[in-house]
Parts: sequence; structure tokens; C-alpha cells
Amino acid sequence: MITLIRQAVAERLNELDGVVALRRSSASVAPYLFQKGDDLVGLEIVPKYPVMTLVSRLHKRFPSIRLGVVARGCDERAYIEMAKRNQIDPDRLTLIGIACTAEDAQTCYCPAPYPNQLVIGTPPAPGPTNPLVAQYDAMPLAERRAFWRQQFDKCIKCYGCRNICPECFCEACAMEDKVWVEPGVLGPPFPAFHMIRAMHMASRCVACRECERTCPAHIPLTVLYDLMRRDMEALLGYLPGADISARPPLSVTLEETPLRVHMAH
Amino acid sequence: MGVEFKPKIVAFMCNWCTYAGADSAGVARLESPANILPIRVMCSGRISPEMVLRAFRSGADGVLVMGCHIGDCHYSSGNHRTAKRMPLLQNLIGYVGINPERIELQWVSASEGPRFVEVTKAFTNKIRQLGPLAQEVLE
Repeated sequence: MITLIRQAVAERLNELDGVVALRRSSASVAPYLFQKGDDLVGLEIVPKYPVMTLVSRLHKRFPSIRLGVVARGCDERAYIEMAKRNQIDPDRLTLIGIACTAEDAQTCYCPAPYPNQLVIGTPPAPGPTNPLVAQYDAMPLAERRAFWRQQFDKCIKCYGCRNICPECFCEACAMEDKVWVEPGVLGPPFPAFHMIRAMHMASRCVACRECERTCPAHIPLTVLYDLMRRDMEALLGYLPGADISARPPLSVTLEETPLRVHMAH
Repeated sequence: MGVEFKPKIVAFMCNWCTYAGADSAGVARLESPANILPIRVMCSGRISPEMVLRAFRSGADGVLVMGCHIGDCHYSSGNHRTAKRMPLLQNLIGYVGINPERIELQWVSASEGPRFVEVTKAFTNKIRQLGPLAQEVLE
């Protein structure tokens, strides 16, 4: 599969200014902008890494650059949400879609472990729903509280979850505003930091799980985000990353995106 | 124990409908609960989730979000955003174990003085029954 990917990248490099993918160096694997003539032997697809943030930076810095990107299902979903919010220019981006392994799909609880613009690989079945999410509604309030209290107690407020997130690109971040998040104070009693993030993720989270992977405290953040994604779909029929033509519903009128149900908590 | 619990309630109200509604309740000398701390905003669409969370963090036991009825918004669709945002925020506080009923969204127009009283009384009573937020968060 990796040989096919390298071939596809080599072909694209004939017509594009560069292709963003992962590259193995002597030290580690890191994102890299491959250009025509580069040796593609070092091109890798593992470990999983959110490459769309780099594409966004390149697009903004070089307004005419035409790029390709080796993209998994979650990268494509990130691309869709980023395009809607002017973080990338879809007219200047070509996806080289690759399928994830069945194991990836399982561990990521991935709803779609392959891009729609699939070029290489065999699509595995979607991963299962996180069992915690599946059983969440049956959990009493006190139990939820105890669970998250213990989780948020571990938070060191490193902002890693935000920094790695392909959908976190606001120039002024609410979580850095001392009016909303008390500086110098960790976690509970009132978890404003995590609640603000969860609320902002409702119309943005593409379930790439990068925040969880990067969290040094191993907080299962996407349990909250999955619940918000679920509610977003039930309430407003919007699934982040699914449809590039669907407008984010929280900033449009009720005529354009009506409330579908009256939600019971 | 033994001290009566007096709920602290932050009530966000939009300038054009609810705030005028509260005023008309006052002019008509209708009694509304003294537990309400009113915060006037130009539009209920201005009320971000961060504001509601900040109210809780600052000691509110309940947050009442009020604005113009759908269709009556001074800015035509500001309250549409409120209508979408608040149910999500209610669910979210439920997910971290805070009773979602501590947030309530109500539409109160400028002429609905009696309704303003009704809504604030009912909400205050509900929060009184739920008890202090600190009990939930700090236990």
C-alpha cells in the first residue's frame, strides 16, 4: 500500500507545488512538504497525525500555492469543516485519500475510516461507538459528575487538546480569555475550560481523536465531544465533516436549519 | 444547616423584549422574586455559552436566559442562535453531571409583564428545590 501511495504522490508532484505527508527522518516521523524531485522513500503514513493544520498554514502563507495532501478519513472531514470556515482553499488542494486499517477504525471508534475521495487501500468497516458513549444516557448525574471530576482533576491545562485540534483556529481563543477561564487555576470545581471546548466542538469535532491521543493526562475528551456530535445531529441534522455544502447551523437562521426535536436531557 | 437556601439566579434578558417586559411588570407593581440578578444584553443571541458558564462559576445556582419570541427579534434572527445554542449547553452541563434544569430558556415579550413574573417565580422555585449548585459541584 505504501508503494502505491508513494507512486500517487510522485504523480501528483508533476502538477502540484507540493504534497504534505509524513516523512521518516533519522529521529522520528514528522509532517513534511514533499516537492518535485524529493526522495519519496521516507514517506510514511504511520503514526496517524493531523496534517490539515499544516495545509491550512501553507495556504494562508502562500496564497497561490497548489498542494496535495495524503489524507485519511478524519483528515478529509477536517478539510470539509476547515473549507467552510475559510481555513483552506479547496480549489488549491488535492486529496490523496488513503484507507485506515481495521485496527485503526476500532481504536479510534471511527465513524468513517476512509475518505470519500478514496484513492488507495480497502475501506474497513466503521469502528464501534465508544461503549462509554453508547451507555452514557443511563448513567445517573452523580456518577457522571464523579467520573468527570476525576478526569478533569488530572488536567494540567497544557492546551494540548486545543493545539492539536484541526478545527481550533480562532485567533482569539475563549479558553485563553481570563474572563472565561480563570488563569493559574486547574480543573474543578467548575470545569469551565473543558465545557467551553466541548461546546465549541459541537459543530466542529470531526472525531479524529487527536486531542485524546495528545492528552498527557489521558482524559477521554471525545466522550464529551461524541455526545455533542450526537446531539448536534439529532437537534439540527448536522454532522461535522459530512457535507461540504452544509452550513454550520449555529450561525444560521431557524428557517435554514430548524430544530428537529425538543431534546430531553 | 437550618439556614434557608436562597437561590442565586442570573437572568440574562434582551434589551428589546424581556428587559422591557420586566420593566412593565415593575410598572404594574407585580412582585417578582428578589433572587433574580438581571443582566441586560442587547440581544439574547449575544449570550454566549461562556457567559452562562461564568455565571455558574461565579456562584449562580441557576441561569435564566430570556429574549424575544421567535419572529419578534429586534435583529430579526438573533434569538434563532439562542434557540439552537441553549439546548446544546443544557445537555452539556448534564453530561458533566450538573442538572440541566439549572439552565432555562424562555421567551418573554415587552408586553408580557405577568409572564415575566410567572417565569421568574417558577424558575426560582425549581432551583430552590434543586438546592445549591455548590452541593452538586463541590460534593
